Amino acid sequence: MQTIQENPVEVLVLGSGFAGSTMTAHLAAAGFDVLTLEAGPERKLQDMLSSQIWARRLKWGGPPVVEKGDLTGAAGFGMGWGTGGAALHWYANWYRFHQNDFRERTLYGKGLDWPIEYEDLRPYYDRAQNYVGVSGDLAQDPWSPPAADYPMPALPELAQSRAIKKGFDALGLRSAPNPVAINSQRYQDRTGCLLDGWCDAGCPIGALANPLVLQWPNALSAGAELKHNAYATRVTTAPSGKKATGVEYRDAAGDLHIQPAQIVIIACHTIWNSRLLLLSANGAHPDGLANGSGKVGRHFMSHPIVTIYGLFDQETEPYRGILGANILSQENYDDKQPAKGVFGSRSFQGGQASKPNDLLGWALARPDLYGQALDDYLRTARRHFGNMTVLCEETSVPENRIELDTTKTDAFGLPAAKVTNNIPKENAARLDLAKTEGLKIFQAADTSDVWASPRNPEHMLGGTLMGSDPNRSVTNSYGQTHEVDNLFIAGASLFPTSGAVNPTGTLTALVLRSADYIQKNRAALLR
Amino acid sequence: MMRLSRRKFLDTTARAAAIGTALGCSPAGMAMAQGSPDTKLRIFSNAQAKTYAAWCNILAIGAAEAGVALFVDKYLADAYPASLLLTRYLQNPPFAPFYLTGIAGIDQESRKRFSKPFLDLVEADQNSIVHAAATSATVAWTDPNPNFFYFISRSDAVDVVYGTVEGFGNLDVPYLEHIRPDHPW
Repeated sequence: MQTIQENPVEVLVLGSGFAGSTMTAHLAAAGFDVLTLEAGPERKLQDMLSSQIWARRLKWGGPPVVEKGDLTGAAGFGMGWGTGGAALHWYANWYRFHQNDFRERTLYGKGLDWPIEYEDLRPYYDRAQNYVGVSGDLAQDPWSPPAADYPMPALPELAQSRAIKKGFDALGLRSAPNPVAINSQRYQDRTGCLLDGWCDAGCPIGALANPLVLQWPNALSAGAELKHNAYATRVTTAPSGKKATGVEYRDAAGDLHIQPAQIVIIACHTIWNSRLLLLSANGAHPDGLANGSGKVGRHFMSHPIVTIYGLFDQETEPYRGILGANILSQENYDDKQPAKGVFGSRSFQGGQASKPNDLLGWALARPDLYGQALDDYLRTARRHFGNMTVLCEETSVPENRIELDTTKTDAFGLPAAKVTNNIPKENAARLDLAKTEGLKIFQAADTSDVWASPRNPEHMLGGTLMGSDPNRSVTNSYGQTHEVDNLFIAGASLFPTSGAVNPTGTLTALVLRSADYIQKNRAALLR
Repeated sequence: MMRLSRRKFLDTTARAAAIGTALGCSPAGMAMAQGSPDTKLRIFSNAQAKTYAAWCNILAIGAAEAGVALFVDKYLADAYPASLLLTRYLQNPPFAPFYLTGIAGIDQESRKRFSKPFLDLVEADQNSIVHAAATSATVAWTDPNPNFFYFISRSDAVDVVYGTVEGFGNLDVPYLEHIRPDHPW
């Protein structure tokens, strides 16, 4: 195996998913010389076959993740591998954190505060939704914090959502069209959605915002370069440890590349952001790069969820629509302490399209059935199935963390990532309460059978916290590490709290804010 | 929202393909990437394949004929990142030991209960072993967790029976494809 010295670049981005590609596109457009490294293979629009079976190739295919605790199992399903990362198979649910999500320590004495408030991020949320293309109806959404109108009207209310809405209406609960980064009409040269329900197999027509149709065409036309099968193993620093000098990576043949850069941005998804910092320990950073606080890997979070299922009297056409939600309710979202011993917000996300097979399909919704009973059930489900995700919050606690695990290694002998996540009791109680609410909503609709899934995790957050205090966080509010000025982190690993909403809208707003900061401080950062 | 006609949809798909070409891909690459189902076993022995097929046929009627053993064998033999098995979501590779030990567990349970291998049992007795795994009530088989093995193998069976273009058709579910796969798996 060889060692190859590469030519220096101004900005080196690690990861080609939503965060990395958005950062690359914006910095390249601002005139930076940007190179992005993607650990996985090249993905093409033609790879997005309409099949839950073939779609599995888009999911995580990298080194092992060791998971411990009672709220784990999101890694293999939630992460991506190849161009676009997880954003090639995401569901495009698009939300803003609420004001109180940013101030949980101050308001409730739980978790952490963000170093910024909603109003700081609001203009970037507005920009992000225009950049990505979001369909929704703000006038019907009573829960959204102050925001600009969505650039497109909401997707139509589908048969499944109409069936579920009866339950909300019967209980006097409000519901609204769910905002999604999916075109309800042609938007910026991308077509409108056909509602065919294959979102997580990828969207080759480009109605669902994904990096192959949005960020990468922008980035490449602005002069950025994207290399695949480039697996970063270490961020290097000057002997002082105060300046990153670049990255070492391995190619598909195992050759070692030394890639110098003036600015390094790690955007490899939550688990891998922490792992890479820990792998990059050196004499100046003995416990991991930018880890003088000891916080790298700490405060990992997920969203605890249950799925409510029902067989409705009316036809629901469950195979049509989008895999994200079609109907949303955030009633009492801002009441994070609805009962004693209970903590956290929750969202109801209903009317998600599904197919017969795969993890979220009709068959696995009833894992107890097999043989003729399974066949009979599927023939009813194909016409009458409905579902709703009950998504709750996990409080940020330091014990939940990402570490290196030397008992398992990658292809180059480097330690695997180990994730420990145990749901705090008050969050588990919140989920139980929300599950009961969800079952009642479905029971109040015209259903013949209602049941719920076991508790599962969704999304991965935290590990490289942003904060004001360098002794208690890894980066400032721009994702710039406290200890290495030209080293930035992008993605949901920055989040100090989880909220009870999907993270991509917020992480995209943060990326735009970081990109602005880098652009404004260009001269100092490139010195 | 503007609903697109199927004609418009086909135009859109053509445009998507054009974008793909701009990004450096080719239809030929797609066909190669999809491959085609192999008929030669590479991980399972014939006996293991027959046992797994019979097991899965109880879980989803038609799984044996639909090629569930070949499906699993192919993707146990191929490199992990290209795997089409649902188990990749839920455990780290390699997956072959999980399947091979599980198939041995089926026979272990069968011999304990009926003094015969699983393939030699009448259907009712085979059903009783599936039921034991589904309800975590096995008496001899412990590794891998029989209930988890049931879950994963049931998913494999569902994939080949209900998760293909043909399977959708048999369930009378519109396929609504953007890009139809050339092969079921």
